[in-house]
Amino acid sequence: MKEMPKHTISILVENEFGVLSRVAGMFSGRGYNIESLSVAETLDPSVSRITLTVRGDTSVLVQVTKQLHKMVSVIRVVDFGQGESVERELALVKVAFNEATRAEVMNIVNIFRAKVVDVGAGVCIIETTGAEDKINAMVRLLRPLGIMEIARTGSAALYRAERLLAEAQEPTRADASSDENAA
Amino acid sequence: MSRRKTSGARQAGQDENPTNTRHKLAGTVMSGADMVVQILADQGVDTLFGYSGGAILPTYDAVFRYNEANPRRRINLLVPATEQGAGFMAAGYARSTGKVGVFLVTSGPGATNCVTPIRDCQADSVPVVLICGQVPRAAMGTDAFQEAPIFNIMSSCAKHVFLLTDETKVEVTLRTAFEIARSGRPGPVVVDIPRDVQLSQGIFQGEGLLRLRGYDERSAAQARTRLEPAPAKAFFDMLANSERPLLYVGGGVPNADAAPELRRFAQRFGIPAVTTLMGIGAIDTTSELSMHMLGMHGAAYANYAVEDCDFLFAVGSRFDDRVAGKVADFAHGAKIAHLDIDASEIEKVKRVDWAYVSDAKRGLAELLDAGKSFHKDFGPWREHVATLKRDHPMGFNSDGERIQSEFVLQQLNKITKGEAIVTTGVGQHQMWAAQYLDFKHSRSWITSGSMGTMGFGLPAAIGAQLANPGKLVIDVDGDGSIRMNVGELEMLTTYDIPVKVLLLNNNGDGMVRQWQDLFYANRYSGSDKTLHKKDFVKAAEADGFGFARRVTDKKKLAAALRAFVEFEGPALLEVMVDQNAHVYPMIGPGMAYKDMLTGKFIPSRRPVRAKKETGGGYF
Repeated sequence: MKEMPKHTISILVENEFGVLSRVAGMFSGRGYNIESLSVAETLDPSVSRITLTVRGDTSVLVQVTKQLHKMVSVIRVVDFGQGESVERELALVKVAFNEATRAEVMNIVNIFRAKVVDVGAGVCIIETTGAEDKINAMVRLLRPLGIMEIARTGSAALYRAERLLAEAQEPTRADASSDENAA
Repeated sequence: MSRRKTSGARQAGQDENPTNTRHKLAGTVMSGADMVVQILADQGVDTLFGYSGGAILPTYDAVFRYNEANPRRRINLLVPATEQGAGFMAAGYARSTGKVGVFLVTSGPGATNCVTPIRDCQADSVPVVLICGQVPRAAMGTDAFQEAPIFNIMSSCAKHVFLLTDETKVEVTLRTAFEIARSGRPGPVVVDIPRDVQLSQGIFQGEGLLRLRGYDERSAAQARTRLEPAPAKAFFDMLANSERPLLYVGGGVPNADAAPELRRFAQRFGIPAVTTLMGIGAIDTTSELSMHMLGMHGAAYANYAVEDCDFLFAVGSRFDDRVAGKVADFAHGAKIAHLDIDASEIEKVKRVDWAYVSDAKRGLAELLDAGKSFHKDFGPWREHVATLKRDHPMGFNSDGERIQSEFVLQQLNKITKGEAIVTTGVGQHQMWAAQYLDFKHSRSWITSGSMGTMGFGLPAAIGAQLANPGKLVIDVDGDGSIRMNVGELEMLTTYDIPVKVLLLNNNGDGMVRQWQDLFYANRYSGSDKTLHKKDFVKAAEADGFGFARRVTDKKKLAAALRAFVEFEGPALLEVMVDQNAHVYPMIGPGMAYKDMLTGKFIPSRRPVRAKKETGGGYF
């Protein structure tokens, strides 16, 4: 089976308990695994923003976002189309180093504009932010040098330019195809 | 919030105060439990179904005290055998009236017994509010006695769930629960209230709703939406270009009380209508334009009309698998228009050529208005469907000793003439009742459509009868289905509820048996009840029924049915029917309409043989 396209979905919700599990349930109920997830309150503390990434058939995800859009606690939903958004993740990577590898580790940190936020005897923690691909690339280079542990956040995503999620009208993704009878 | 009041998007509460009039109890200190009951009274709730228990006792006590203090505005509390019964009673009440049905249960097992009715109400869009007790806040999450995570459990099956952990929000939450249940696409709302919150004291405000920005905004936007001239023109262009238009009417029409508009629409443009199981009664089944039920067990002529139409107008229906069968072939070649209250139903299953998101009542009224000058005569098409009706009528084995269920229902129909409220269980008897009974009125056919919950019929009939005193309410049930909630028989005599229970006993689960005949080489795994010893007549007598009879002789059926229907109080009539009968027509699961089997007694327009179920088939 070919790899399903990745979708980044942002949702504004009433900031109350249980909303996250109901939103997540909308995906798990259809057998979709949420690949990454971030939740935090917005400028208005009574509103939270959930951003999640999921791989799946576009027409099915259009259906999921429509259903999210009718949940009582959901305020806005968007499935960002290609190039519509800026997305960033953060990763903390604990790397072991020695005399021989220290320079290479620092080199990678510089190339990726990451920073060392903690250093111990032969161990450091590197903090990096960026799009998922950039973080994947850095991890790939650091791995042979000795990654001990890694913690990554979900994506944060905003519309490019002046568009705002709070003003989005419809949940449907622009490039959504509604191929007949796909289900 | 005032915005909510002016939005007009939601129906007003049945007893809402006019603006600027303070609730007569505003400012009074009362317990959370008293507030719950006061909100029920304010919402116009006159009947409450439920079973008590530790975690909900404060609220049960509040009901008692409310009734003592308000003898003229009592809230009748009816206690079923199980909480599932309470849920279906509330559902029967709601389905037959459109008012919100309410049930009140305790924590843990009380609440988990309600999962099935809540899911059933969600699947058929029925407005109910379930109030459950929960263990005290401090005990939550400790595996306390009779504790269950109701918020989590119900979240996956209700329209919305509240866990009331903030004792200052009892009043606004309850009021909002009713609003959510009845607004938009109706559905079930669960309010889980810890025992200590029921006991907490607070000042009753008499007004206020929770803020639900997204939901309110969407409701308001939908209320503002009007059918624009361009899409209206597009609709009538499609209609003008069609020669063979057909209405495909679902539960959204009765749900929106849109039967008058639907009937006007069909009459005005001369368009015949097929209905789904949930749409039965939207159009008077005895009227000329009614083509009856379509789908898996739809009338042959209804399904032929779907095959033959060139323009299908879906109103409050959703291309469910029991209707559409093989989706790609469904109404193949026809242009499709879809009117539904729920945007997520548009193109969920099938691509459409025209769509309008609105409740059926307003949407149809707007189309009627926009089409004032439309004229096209679909006479030849109406003649065609009349021919289909004449050439492919319903039919069954009318010879032989054994009583056929279809015969029983045909006889019953001669007595009720489409005027009775009928509820059903799930299975063969349900399909036959849908096929053979007439319904002149919307909301008089009450059945568990989407979920297909066996055991639904008896409790739903109780709820419908309480909501419609003086009306004839008949539970057409099967022996398998009624067993599931047979404990509720006692309700009829306890509360003197004159429901008539017509039990079609075929010694087993007939629909399962039918599939086993067709697809599993007659291996009746788990579906045969021939050896079961239950005597339903004695059971009814034990519960105090004044009328409990069994009919095994065809010749005695008509008289027994008449005596049964005319009996003043609750009555049970058991009819022993043919165990080997099959429901026809039948479009096998995942099959196309052209593969419809019509059996021996319904003339088909092409011979088809049953195919064995394969791995690729839809359940």
